[in-house]
Amino acid sequence: MLTRTPIVVAGRPYVPLILMVTLGAVAATGLSAADNARQIVEEAQRRTDAKSQRYEGLLQVFDAKGKISDKRWTFERLGSYGKSKAVLRFTAPAEVKGVALLVINHPDRASDQWMWTPAIERDRRIALQDRSTRFFGTDFSFEDLEERDVNQYDYALIGDDTADGAACWKIESTPKESKSSQYTRSIVWIRKDNYAFARVENFVKTQVVRRLSYNDIQDVQGIWTARQMEMADLRRGSRTRLTLDKLQYNAAMKDEDFTLQAIRR
Amino acid sequence: MAQTVSQRGFVDGVGFFFPQEAPIDATQLVGDLLAREEVFVKPAPWLQLAGGLEFRANSHNQVDDWQLDFLSRGILRPRLTISRLSATLTRGRLRVDLGKQFIRWGKTDILTPTDRFAPRDFLNVVDNYFLAVTGVRASLETGRETLDAAWVPWFTPSRVPLLDQRWTAVPPQAASVPLVDAGHTIPGGSQVGARWSHAGEGFEFSVSFFDGFNHLPNTATQIMGPTPESLQVLVSFSYPAIKAYGVDGAVPTRWFTIKGEAEYFTSSSPDTNEYVLYVLQLERQTGEWQIVVGYTGEVVTARRALVVTGFAPDQGLARSFVGRASYTIDSNRSVSFESAVHQNGRGVYAKAEYSQARGQHWRATATGVFLGGDQNDFLGQYHRNSYLALGLRYSF
Repeated sequence: MLTRTPIVVAGRPYVPLILMVTLGAVAATGLSAADNARQIVEEAQRRTDAKSQRYEGLLQVFDAKGKISDKRWTFERLGSYGKSKAVLRFTAPAEVKGVALLVINHPDRASDQWMWTPAIERDRRIALQDRSTRFFGTDFSFEDLEERDVNQYDYALIGDDTADGAACWKIESTPKESKSSQYTRSIVWIRKDNYAFARVENFVKTQVVRRLSYNDIQDVQGIWTARQMEMADLRRGSRTRLTLDKLQYNAAMKDEDFTLQAIRR
Repeated sequence: MAQTVSQRGFVDGVGFFFPQEAPIDATQLVGDLLAREEVFVKPAPWLQLAGGLEFRANSHNQVDDWQLDFLSRGILRPRLTISRLSATLTRGRLRVDLGKQFIRWGKTDILTPTDRFAPRDFLNVVDNYFLAVTGVRASLETGRETLDAAWVPWFTPSRVPLLDQRWTAVPPQAASVPLVDAGHTIPGGSQVGARWSHAGEGFEFSVSFFDGFNHLPNTATQIMGPTPESLQVLVSFSYPAIKAYGVDGAVPTRWFTIKGEAEYFTSSSPDTNEYVLYVLQLERQTGEWQIVVGYTGEVVTARRALVVTGFAPDQGLARSFVGRASYTIDSNRSVSFESAVHQNGRGVYAKAEYSQARGQHWRATATGVFLGGDQNDFLGQYHRNSYLALGLRYSF
C-alpha cells in the first residue's frame, strides 16, 4: 500500500529538476487537482521502484511512560508495489525468533498474508477483517505491512504544507474499495524536493488514529529512503520506531523463497 | 553464499499445584523443567539442516533415565532427546524434509482431526505438546496449489498418561487396585499421507488422505491376582491401523473467518469404531482481542461389536462447545482464556492464563485450570485435577 505502508515502502525518490518542471507543466495545462495528486504519487512510486529490498529492522515500542520492548526482524521483498512479495522474519527477542509473515501483494486488491509460528509449527492466514489488529504488540497493524498499488486509491491534492521544515504536497488518498481497508482515508505529505514521503496520517471516519513519520531520509543506491520511521497509535498513546539497518536494494532473490513452504523453518 | 547459522532455545520451569489429591496420586506439587536448543544451518541455498536437543527434569517421576532418546516411544518423557534432526532440500518449488520433524496439517484450533502426523505428549492431558515424527515429507507449491506427501516409516505414538498418576482417572472405589502397564505394541509398518491444498482469493481448503496408525492407543485390560489383596489390572496398549480421509477449509467473511475441519476414520481392526470427527469454528481479531468459538462433533458410522476402551482425547472432546480468547495488553503482556464444555453439560474445562515478558529473555506465566463434571465423562473424569501453575521461561 503506497500511502500507508512504511515498512515495505521504505525507499523514497530523488527528484531530478526536469521532472519537477514536467509536473509543474502538467499542472499548468489545466489538469485537475486530483490528476495532479495522482501524478505526484505515481512519480513517488516510480522513483522507489526496485527489483528487491532487504534490511534488518529494529523495532522499539514505547508506551505513554517510555520504552517497553525491542524487537528485531529481517525483511526481504521481491518486486515492487502491486507485484511484490515480502517475507518478514523476527530475529529477536528470543521467544519470537523464527516467527514469519509472508505478504503477497496484488495490484487490484488487498494482499494475502500468512503467519508462520514455529512454536506450534503452523501457518495461519491473516484474514482481511483481522488486519486492523496490531502486529505483534507493535503500533503497526497487519494492514500497515501491506504494499498497495497506486491504482487502489483515489487522490486529491489538498494543499501545500511543511514537514520537518521541508516543503510538501499534502494529498488525501481514499481507498476505492472502502471494505478493503480499516482506514477511511489517509493524508500524505510528500516532499517537493525529492518526492519522499514525509508523513502519513490515517483516519477512521474523521479521527486520526495512526500517524507515521519518516525520518533520516538518505539516498540509498539512488533511492531516497527513510532510515527511520515512527508509527504513533494516537488512540493508545503508544508509538513504535522502526530503524532500518543493512538496507540493500536490487539484491538477487529467488521467487521460491517467497512461498508458504519457504517461511517454515 | 556464506553459510548461515541460527539457533533458538529456552529453559522453562513450571510448578504445578493441584489443590485436590487424586485417588491414585496424592502428589499435589509437581515441578517440571524443560531445556530446548534448536540449531539451523544452511550450508547451501538448497540445503538446510535442523537439529534440536531437549533436556527434562521432573519432581514426580515423569522422566526416564539418562539415555539419549530419538524415536520418542517411551512411556516416560526422555531425560535427553533429539527433538528434531532433519535436512531440508529445496529445488525450485519442491521442498523435501528428511528426518525427525514436525508435520502439522489442519486449520482449526483446540481440536484438529486432520492432523494425523502429530502425536502428542499427554502426561498432562490439558497441557500437552507435540512430538516430532521421523520420515520424509515432500511439498510442491505451485502458485495457489500445494501438494504435500509424507512417508513415516517409524511410528511415534502419543505419550499417554502414566498409570500411577492423576491423569489416569480412576474412581475412588478402584483406587486400591494397581494398574500395571503390560506393554505397548508398536506397529511395525510405515505410514503415508497426502494432502492437496488450494489457497484461493477468498477461501482456502485442503483434502487429505492418511494410511497408517492411530497415534492414540486402544487399551485392553486384564484382571490378575489369586487373591483380592493381590489383585491388579494389566493394561496393554495397541495402535489400530486406520485410513483417514480429511477436508479442512477457511472462508473469511466480513465478520468472521469460518474454519472447518472433518476427518473420516476407517479401520480394518475389528475392535475399532469408524467415525467422523469434525470441527466448525468462527475466528475474529478485533482490537487487541483474538477470539475463537466453535463446536466439535462426532458421528460414529460403524460401531464395532467388540469395541475396546482407549485413550482418545480427540473423541473425548467431541460434542463440545469450545472457545478461546486472548487479549494483548501491550507488547509484553497478554491474557488468554480457553474453554470446552460438553453439550450435555457433564464435562467442563476452563483455563485462564496471564503472561508477562521482561526484557529480551524472560517471560513469566500464571495459569489456572478448572476441570469439572462426571466421572464417566472424558473431561469430567479429571474433576480432581484442576490446578494452578507458575512458569518462568528464559529464551535465548
